[in-house]
Amino acid sequence: MTYLETSQAYLEQSAQLLEAYPETTRITTKYNFPTERPAQVLKRTKSQAKSNKPASTSTEPPTAPIASLTLRTYNPESGITIQYRTNKLQEVGRLMTGLGKLAAGADVASLGLSAPAGADIEMTDAPEEAAGSAPAPVPAAAKGQAQGGKGKKKKGGKK
Amino acid sequence: MAPHLQTDEFFSSLTDLLAKTTQKSRGSVTLSQKPLIDNITTTQPSILIRATDGNTSAPRTMKDGKVVKAKASKATRVKFSTVVPADQLEAFYTRYAEICKTGMTGLKKRDRKRKAKGKGGAKAAKA
Repeated sequence: MTYLETSQAYLEQSAQLLEAYPETTRITTKYNFPTERPAQVLKRTKSQAKSNKPASTSTEPPTAPIASLTLRTYNPESGITIQYRTNKLQEVGRLMTGLGKLAAGADVASLGLSAPAGADIEMTDAPEEAAGSAPAPVPAAAKGQAQGGKGKKKKGGKK
Repeated sequence: MAPHLQTDEFFSSLTDLLAKTTQKSRGSVTLSQKPLIDNITTTQPSILIRATDGNTSAPRTMKDGKVVKAKASKATRVKFSTVVPADQLEAFYTRYAEICKTGMTGLKKRDRKRKAKGKGGAKAAKA
């Protein structure tokens, strides 16, 4: 149940998980509005109304809460779950195309190559991960992802 | 289980579902994708795409055949799916991404932020 920080990391790790278990791994995408108790709704609308009166520069629409998009890659055999959550609309297109590539069986390398310039920060990590897991047998690579901390520790020990 | 929809039907249903959810600003839309494994092994399996509003207060049948009664009689559970052959994946996902982009407007928009900043800046300049 790990939430990853970046969408690029999510796509890469999902690609690895799909590589390890291509038949049983599934990806779910949830577009969700938060559930609010009536009291919470009242509080939010009140505070928005307040901020709206003096200046109409509120960044939120008057009544709607902000939705979120959660992507989850799950493999029931190994119990590995990889998650990424965002509330930014501009990420949706890129994420969905990424999922398309994953569905078509893209590997980590092809995801990295086609990544837009925005993902530069992850690019430094990507080759390391790929190099670390490539020679190892496939299930071992998947285990490393599930317990990311352990994998990193191992690498540290080798150094 | 309802039969799988054709791609076009699937997309129109998805557009409706996203629009409805966004309009209500309530609930969620869950999409899932997984390879459809049949015993006839092909080189690349088709992908099964499912969409649902996950409305658990609607009547539904559990795995053991028990029917769970609805809490609210008006509620219905939206649920549909499609199968995408491996060779059509790219075309499918291009449209899929486009529909998600236009449908999920409940998320934070980038444009609005910029406008808000612009307004704030203008006001600050006036003051």
